[in-house]
Amino acid sequence: MNDAPVIELRGIVKIYTSGPLELEVLHGLNLTVQRGEYVAIMGPSGSGKSTLMNLVGCLDRPSRGTYRLDGVDVAGLDDNALAAIRLRKLGFVFQGYNLLGRADALNNVALPLFYAGLATKERRERAMARLAEVGLADRARHKPSELSGGQQQRVAIARALANDPAVLLADEPTGNLDSATSEELLELFSKLHGNGRTILMVTHDEGVAAHARRIVRLRDGNIVADAQR
Amino acid sequence: MMYVSEAWRVLMANMARSLLTVTGLIIGVGAVVAILVLGKSMAGAVDASLGGFADSSFIIYPNPTQSDVATAAIRLRDLTAVKATVPGIMDAQPLGFHSDLVRVGYAQVRYEISPDGPIPFNTTPLHYGRLFTDNDVAAAAHVCIISNAVYQRLFPNGGDPTGNNLYAGAQRYVIVGVLQPPHHGFINATFSGDIIIPWTTYVDTYVRGSTVFAGRFIADNPASIPSLEVAVMNELRTLRGSSTIEYETFDKTQITQGINGVFNAMTLVVALIGAVSLVVAGIGIMNIMLVSVAERTREIGVRKAIGARAGQILAQFFVESLLLCGSGCGIGLGIGLVIGQVVNQVAIVKITGSIAPIPWLTAVLVAAAFAVVAALAFGTYPAYRASRLDPIEALRYE
Repeated sequence: MNDAPVIELRGIVKIYTSGPLELEVLHGLNLTVQRGEYVAIMGPSGSGKSTLMNLVGCLDRPSRGTYRLDGVDVAGLDDNALAAIRLRKLGFVFQGYNLLGRADALNNVALPLFYAGLATKERRERAMARLAEVGLADRARHKPSELSGGQQQRVAIARALANDPAVLLADEPTGNLDSATSEELLELFSKLHGNGRTILMVTHDEGVAAHARRIVRLRDGNIVADAQR
Repeated sequence: MMYVSEAWRVLMANMARSLLTVTGLIIGVGAVVAILVLGKSMAGAVDASLGGFADSSFIIYPNPTQSDVATAAIRLRDLTAVKATVPGIMDAQPLGFHSDLVRVGYAQVRYEISPDGPIPFNTTPLHYGRLFTDNDVAAAAHVCIISNAVYQRLFPNGGDPTGNNLYAGAQRYVIVGVLQPPHHGFINATFSGDIIIPWTTYVDTYVRGSTVFAGRFIADNPASIPSLEVAVMNELRTLRGSSTIEYETFDKTQITQGINGVFNAMTLVVALIGAVSLVVAGIGIMNIMLVSVAERTREIGVRKAIGARAGQILAQFFVESLLLCGSGCGIGLGIGLVIGQVVNQVAIVKITGSIAPIPWLTAVLVAAAFAVVAALAFGTYPAYRASRLDPIEALRYE
């Protein structure tokens, strides 16, 4: 199980239907990500990056092809089963942080733990540990509005890590940050990678992608380059 | 419970909006609770205003419109026979009033004299002295119990008047008891005059001939009144030798039923108002919850992306509706209790001298039922809408 790939996409086709129109966005895509890899997915807008990310993130289902995540075939799962996969095996980091404004950092990080059914005390302890992991233990009681952009994104990363996922999915995580803060955040990703996390990051910024160990380039729904560094 | 604390934060963040949304619920629940509180006291007030009328007594009289009134007329000896033959009848006496002049110093005042017995029909409590004894009745003693009004008039200086004489017309009665002031608010239904004498004395002194216009009976307990009324009427028909003569009855439940009927109609109207306000308020709640779901589309997308199941989203928004309705009904409950108590203090206390205890359990249950029904009927659909949102589209929502 441990040497099996974390992500294994085989012949993935995604077709969007809008009335009589059919638009094929991904054309039989194959991608394998091993445990512990740090992969950047690059491509211009319209290349199918977002679609691929939604499929890998189990927010959407492929029209054709198979997808095995951490050994589980997720293509045929229903909505609740997909939600459980997102909860246990995936951690999302968004460009816009997407924290809950009403809740403090600790409660934001504890949210996936609540959905996982953990008791209050355990939620608090685990969330605290995750915040410490991203270097924000002293900001636990601050609301997102009281945190800088970089800090908010760190809280979002702590939330993504809450349930110890198999893969960390980051969609333009530095898109809203200045270059100095971006650099700090990318160091955090490198550190997490160093700790053995599997990271999949979508970006259109070469400088950001340069931190990854492998770069996959998409163009018009096909993988046009896949290079280890 | 995380759902509750989150929902509370949402409602508090939109304080003004939340309050306005539940105004209808506050009014509806407030009205229903107020009428509940009042209802208890109103029933008490009805009871208290009839306080002088013994619970276990009833009156039977011939139907005055029948053709054979003469045969139906109740004789004194019929009353004695009924008391002897119908089980459960503790006493049977004639009902009567005799108006006479009572000497007060150098003046004379007209008062009603009426009969009573050792088990009193007039249950107004004694202020001084005693009730009649079996001996008073057996000996047709010239003794009397006077009402508080007579006492105030005859003895303006106060003090215990028992043992003094009272002169009414040509008769002299020794005062043995004084009643407390009665609590009749709107009805005086004691069928009792201001001067009460043993019924045997009354018959000897004031009844001409052998017929009385009505009989008063005391049952062994109030619950058996309906069956005893039938038994007494049957016995009277037997005694009078005619199965076709008709009698009418009168007892306390007939009065209370009448008044309670009016009051129940009022309660029904208020309940209807409550139901209408529940529907109107519910539509407002559904509307604001749909707005809330739309405003938080992105939040819902994030929650789904990090692994919330549809059921968990549904629960979150349903708890929010429930909390919204619960707060509204809670406020309504408080306002209703206050209004009910204020009206009690202002109006009811004057009639009864006391107010019924607040029906806490009923009031809280009614408010809780309103909250649950409103949340179920009007919070479910918005919560369902939220739970069905597509996470990708929701995440894209600006």
